[in-house]
Amino acid sequence: MKAMLRVIRAEWFKGIRKRRLYVLAGLWWVLLPVLTISLARVFQVNVTGSFLDETGLVVQTTLQALASPLGAAQVALAMPAFLSPSAYVLAVTLLVAAAIGEERTHNMWKTTLVAAPSRLAVLWGKLIAVQLQLGALTLGAFLTSVLAGAIGTMFLGTTWQGNWGSLLGLYLQQWGHLFTLTLFAGLLIFVLRNVTLGIVATFFLPALIEGLYSIWQATVGFQPLNRFNALFQALELQRTLESLPRWFLTSNLYFPARSTAEPLLSQGFTADPEFQSSPFASLLGSDLTLMHSAWVMLGYAVVFGGLLTWAFLRRDVS
Amino acid sequence: MGVTVLAAHNLVKRYGRFTAVDHVDLSIERGELVGFLGPNGAGKTTTLRMLAGLIRPTSGSAEVLGGPVPGPGLRRVGTMIEEPSFYPYLSGRDNLRYASLLHGDITEQRIDEVLAFVRMENAAQKKVRAYSQGMRQRLGLARALLHKPDILLLDEPTNGLDPVGIAEIRENLRTVAQQGVTVLISSHILSELEKLVTRVVAIERGSIRYDGSLRGLVSRMEERVVMVRIEAIDAEKLRSALQDDAVRGDDVSLHLSSGPEGLTRVELAHQAIPDLLRRLLNHGVDVTEVHAEGDDLEGAYLRLLQEDGRPS
Repeated sequence: MKAMLRVIRAEWFKGIRKRRLYVLAGLWWVLLPVLTISLARVFQVNVTGSFLDETGLVVQTTLQALASPLGAAQVALAMPAFLSPSAYVLAVTLLVAAAIGEERTHNMWKTTLVAAPSRLAVLWGKLIAVQLQLGALTLGAFLTSVLAGAIGTMFLGTTWQGNWGSLLGLYLQQWGHLFTLTLFAGLLIFVLRNVTLGIVATFFLPALIEGLYSIWQATVGFQPLNRFNALFQALELQRTLESLPRWFLTSNLYFPARSTAEPLLSQGFTADPEFQSSPFASLLGSDLTLMHSAWVMLGYAVVFGGLLTWAFLRRDVS
Repeated sequence: MGVTVLAAHNLVKRYGRFTAVDHVDLSIERGELVGFLGPNGAGKTTTLRMLAGLIRPTSGSAEVLGGPVPGPGLRRVGTMIEEPSFYPYLSGRDNLRYASLLHGDITEQRIDEVLAFVRMENAAQKKVRAYSQGMRQRLGLARALLHKPDILLLDEPTNGLDPVGIAEIRENLRTVAQQGVTVLISSHILSELEKLVTRVVAIERGSIRYDGSLRGLVSRMEERVVMVRIEAIDAEKLRSALQDDAVRGDDVSLHLSSGPEGLTRVELAHQAIPDLLRRLLNHGVDVTEVHAEGDDLEGAYLRLLQEDGRPS
């Protein structure tokens, strides 16, 4: 445990001297809250009193949902998950690349592993250090967005009300889910022995595998079509497509962050029962639960963490 | 009999069909300064990496301070294996701070000490990316010494250094050895080891060819035929004297290079050199210089390799 703490301290020392951490913080802590409040102000000025306001779109409700202290904090949590590729992947891969990939790039494994001979302590110390850096980024995003929302209350007419406990829980769970992504990125960057390839693979491999798996699942067991089985086969296909994303890494990974958007989505066409019963509803992840996604991510974490540890312990340092 | 602090038992490392290290046995006692000799690709670095726990042996085992490798004993080992590497975006001091955090319990004062020891205190604030090769080597030594190790494993520590840098590193290593640190230093700059070590382990094609005193290695060549270059005030007189069988003597063969500035060489048994010089002096040849080519550690080592069929 002492050895691991030493590695965490050393990684933290190194990590806070990397410019990329401050670029990520600048984007997430400053740019996003400023954009949120600025757009809310533009929305308020242009839409208040317009025909949209008269036909039922309540400006104040929207502003409260998006630019109140709680709303801004929700945006800061959700927005990185809705970008494509997500900003969470970007942050995780950059930090993992600095902690694990860079050791190979700069030929530093030989130094690190002699100073700290316990490979288990080195690997998990580095992973925990990345997770702490992600925690600092997430916490900073929460605090700065709340601050921006607080400033917004002075001219947007928003209030502090809302379910803060639930939001903090979502932040915490999303941070936990990111650890699975940290393990996944660490595994790819270490096994592929190439930082760039590892980052690219982390970005695109899950979507590729999930896409191929969906196609395979949709076609396997598909029998020759006739007028008697057509309906059953269509229903079977629908059921397959509905249930697949429940186990996908990508849909579960961002679920806590994306779930903050559910109240907004439920006000639009997605509230339509016809949409809710379609396969597209499950693609949005709306039939997941926080508990389900937590278990799925834990499962992935065990697999990725196990593989990474196994590979790290047995590989020679060249 | 001293305490064995570093040992290799039947170490083997194979990469597919290629055997990089072949049943190496090694035992080094506390305070020894051992040279690890071998041409490129002989298995020096692979052996050092196995001793440092960086690569796993195919079979056999290594021990450091009585414990297995890898193991906690490695925390008492300082290494500089191949070219020292650093985080280029950190300063020299910050690279040492990073290493000190990994080691634990190392004060800022100790960092100052090792920086002063390798004469890097004035460059410590610079980013490592701006360092010359010599500065990197010295910083690498500082990092290896940071935690006051009991054992130092150094792989070609003077590689790429100018003569002044080489002399500085050599001086540093002498000081370290005087403090009781056990040092295993590999090099193919044999003249460097000659000035530093007392014991030599020579490795070739993954196997140990010689393990003994430096003097023992050099003395091997005493019994052997060597090539001697002779210079005299009157080169022509020297040449004509050597062409006379009575002066040259039996079992001495003459090698003359063409041209007026050509070199005069004779091939003879090492112990026959004094007699030849005496005969030349008696014949009125004023000899100014005699140089037995390869009459050093390098010469001895190359001959050792020739015995095993490797061309010199």
